[in-house]
Amino acid sequence: MNRETFLNYLQNNVMILDGATGTQLQKQGMPNDVCPQQWVLEHPETIIEIQKSYIQAGSNAVYTCTFGGNRLKLEEYGLGNQVVEINRRLAQLSRQAVGANHFVVGDLAPTGQFVKPLGPISFEQLVDIYKEQVQGLLLGGVDFFVIETMMDIQEARAALLAVKESCDLPVCVSMTFNEDGRTLTGTDPVTALITLQCLGADAIGCNCSTGPNDMLDIIADMSQYASVPLLAKPNAGLPKLVDDHTAFDMDADTFADFIPDFIKHGVCLIGGCCGTTPEYIAQIKQKIKGLKPVVPAKKHISAVTSAGKTVFIGLDQPLTIVGERINPTGKKKLQDSLRNNNMEEIFHLALDQAEKGAAILDVNVGMPDINEKEAMLNVLETITGSVHTPLCLDSSSPEVLEAALRIYPGRALINSISAETEKLQKLLPIAAKYGAMFILLPIDDKGVPETAEERIKIINDIYAQAQKYGYTKDDIVVDGLVMTVSSNQKAAQETLKVIDWCSNELQCNTIIGLSNISFGLPAREWLNAAFLAMAIGKGLSMAIANPSGDLLMNIKTACDVLTSKDAYSKHYIHYFSQHLTSNDGTNNNAASKPVTEQIYDAVVKGNKDGIITLIEIAIKEGHDPSQLVDLFLIPAITQVGDLYEQRKYYLPQLILSAETMKTAFEYLEPYLEKRSSNSEEMKIKIVLATVKGDIHDIGKNIVGLMLKNHGFEVYDLGKDVSADIIIKKAKEVNAQIIGLSALMTTTMTGMKNVIQLAKQEKLECKFMVGGAVVTKKYADEIGADGYAKDAYQAVKLAKKLVTKKPR
Amino acid sequence: MMNNKIQYFENIPAEPENSMILARLGYRKNSTEIDKEHANMLKNAIHLGLGLCRLQGAYGYFDITEKTSEYVKLENGQAFHSEKLAKLLESSQAVVFMACTSGTAITERIAKEVQNNNASVGLILDAVASEKTDAGLDWLMDFINKSLKREGKKLTKHRFSPGYGDLPLSDQKIIYEMLKLQNIGLQLTEKYILIPEKSVLAVAGIERIGFDE
Repeated sequence: MNRETFLNYLQNNVMILDGATGTQLQKQGMPNDVCPQQWVLEHPETIIEIQKSYIQAGSNAVYTCTFGGNRLKLEEYGLGNQVVEINRRLAQLSRQAVGANHFVVGDLAPTGQFVKPLGPISFEQLVDIYKEQVQGLLLGGVDFFVIETMMDIQEARAALLAVKESCDLPVCVSMTFNEDGRTLTGTDPVTALITLQCLGADAIGCNCSTGPNDMLDIIADMSQYASVPLLAKPNAGLPKLVDDHTAFDMDADTFADFIPDFIKHGVCLIGGCCGTTPEYIAQIKQKIKGLKPVVPAKKHISAVTSAGKTVFIGLDQPLTIVGERINPTGKKKLQDSLRNNNMEEIFHLALDQAEKGAAILDVNVGMPDINEKEAMLNVLETITGSVHTPLCLDSSSPEVLEAALRIYPGRALINSISAETEKLQKLLPIAAKYGAMFILLPIDDKGVPETAEERIKIINDIYAQAQKYGYTKDDIVVDGLVMTVSSNQKAAQETLKVIDWCSNELQCNTIIGLSNISFGLPAREWLNAAFLAMAIGKGLSMAIANPSGDLLMNIKTACDVLTSKDAYSKHYIHYFSQHLTSNDGTNNNAASKPVTEQIYDAVVKGNKDGIITLIEIAIKEGHDPSQLVDLFLIPAITQVGDLYEQRKYYLPQLILSAETMKTAFEYLEPYLEKRSSNSEEMKIKIVLATVKGDIHDIGKNIVGLMLKNHGFEVYDLGKDVSADIIIKKAKEVNAQIIGLSALMTTTMTGMKNVIQLAKQEKLECKFMVGGAVVTKKYADEIGADGYAKDAYQAVKLAKKLVTKKPR
Repeated sequence: MMNNKIQYFENIPAEPENSMILARLGYRKNSTEIDKEHANMLKNAIHLGLGLCRLQGAYGYFDITEKTSEYVKLENGQAFHSEKLAKLLESSQAVVFMACTSGTAITERIAKEVQNNNASVGLILDAVASEKTDAGLDWLMDFINKSLKREGKKLTKHRFSPGYGDLPLSDQKIIYEMLKLQNIGLQLTEKYILIPEKSVLAVAGIERIGFDE
């Protein structure tokens, strides 16, 4: 069966698939703990009987009994070296059961492993595992393939590529969605449909997990965007466990009542999954009598996807911003990160742009002295594992683009394909194979054409070539080619003409690399913003830009309202309500205040980086360092404590102020040596430690920082410290307080050991304790003098303890 | 009977809620006031933390062979003596053990920031890592629940971790060994503390879905 005959069949007939096989085999005596494939080969009459009964009930096609027939599954039973043979024989058994007049469908299902970055297995390994199974099924003479019960879009893509790279037979992909409408790894039905449809699946749908009522909603969502026939195999309702057996709660009559609605929504292949029997199939046959299949018509949509999200692009959609910042050109930090395979910066850029409103992220890692392919794959693994935004793969190398498209878990946008002969010939087939959208760059071997007319000619040429690979104008985005107005002031007009022609004549999507327009001129953001508004007026659908620019995003948001692409101005209202709130709290008059007040403010605001400069100025102005401490720094940190107690400040603000104070103290120390030492607090010595066996010490470190700021002399012994070292140090420095921390129940007993040892050694000193599992009650039990729940309370407690008389 | 093969994950795609990170840091929506500069610093630190965490995880099913109100015994003979755990598992036929870690890079960075007079950033990273690890466990529970539903089963609503209630921290050793957590780079100290620091183990019960649910 080839694709054409498959489609012809579905245009004229609803294909009835089979029902459940596993539960039927169990009824025939298959034990729970055997390899089903092996058991069936040892009892061939069982599968033949089951599949015959489905054909008799009305099925036109049966799935081979190869659900667990991939190498990873068969290896669990020591049969990993017999994949081809087992699949071949099982396909032959199905043929024997149904004869030449019915279809045998080669069944591929999950391996039970997850693909990188989620799991340990590489995408290519998975493709090879499925290819091996496909080989066996082909030898067994299957008519077409189904990839079923897929929970992970990446595994479905691997299986689909395996079939398509092995043969020309039609292939259907059936995902399984949970109650929340997503697959186990988070893909929604529309995203799955667009991704798989563009990758070349001949029919797409879903099976298992839900009964027909919930599945109908999924199919209805898919049908809005489907250009291929849909497939559905619902369960017989929902599973329940009865006496250790899984039972389903919907009878065949009720089940079949849903079938006409499935057909109406474009389902052309229909059957049953868990809990269904030949009785259900017979009911389906009854219900579809007289119904004509409704093969979904080709949909005109432009969309790119990630594993968990679809972004629609187009003349009727809000302007799509493609974040431009993942590009190492002129960015030393990013260049260093890429060279060292350090993904922190990439992650930050991806997340930041997505939060700022980029709907798609451009990813370009091209730079000298780097393996671009390796870098691109590493970056993709980082971004696709953590950010849901679809990607625009930006490279001039066909090899890099192909490698990226292969592992990208969705439908990507390629940046870009031009009419340069060599690139066009190499890139178009690659783009088409993976079903990617692409940015059409209207330049050719002669370079960048100056006029709009020349560019339009190239656009037509490339589009004509692309059509040969099945591309439509929905799948391309024309780059208007933005040239800088500082060298040619008419350049902007030529770009606008191209956008106008594409939007209104060709009626395709357009994009601009916005910031080129202002290159070489001052105050570039104004030119960028003005040009963006003008281009939107001509119908622009996308812009590659930096979404961190407020002006730009404000213009985009406003233009979406003015071009009727933001219904009821909903996004506009939401965007500006958030934006205006976050601008609050800035103080533009700071510099006009006296420097001493600025020092006070610096501590209160936690301006760690600026405080030394302020203190230098104050000293130059003749302020006494002691007075700076007494009149400004200490009152400021006291104010911070008050704000913290009032919950106007939260912990990082408290700590940031403490760090600022510490920075100031360290700078002022030499000036303060002469300072009289009559302050009580300056004399108090505290030994701090996280007790033996415990390694969690961030809380203790923060307590140390806070105590230092309040004038205590802190001896921090670190973490995992034994009792004798703590006592020894306390004796050595004549500490008045020992502060102990522990996070775990197994280590908090170490506190008691320290206190007991101190008593044995007759050490006159107070004990304060803290840590996640420590309580006031526990502190009392072990004989500690006090318990503090956080760093601020620890300071208060320390002050209180030293004002009490020694024990 | 449950298939007790251990499943490992290299990069769990779970993201914590920002509000949970802030709450852990003591932020109160109705009273805490932060200016734009601090908000920016906070955002950058959260991004840094999220980028440094690499969520790995594991889970495995084990059948319960015996249980009383005081203990639960598993197929391999291991027993957990905890009344609270026994109560949680009173309707369960099997348990799932789960582990999640945010990895070493984040722990090292927290220590470095604190050491370099950047405790405020260290503190934010610490909160991010804790919340991310918890989000990883939530993701695992959600994932397992969805898988179980196909078989008419579900997880108990709550999970339990050694060190809480009357389930001793020393039971981390049993779970560590059953899940073979060295496979995702975890270590256990002699005091039963997991390394890297931002790692959590948990147990939940597997129950059947009743016909009235």
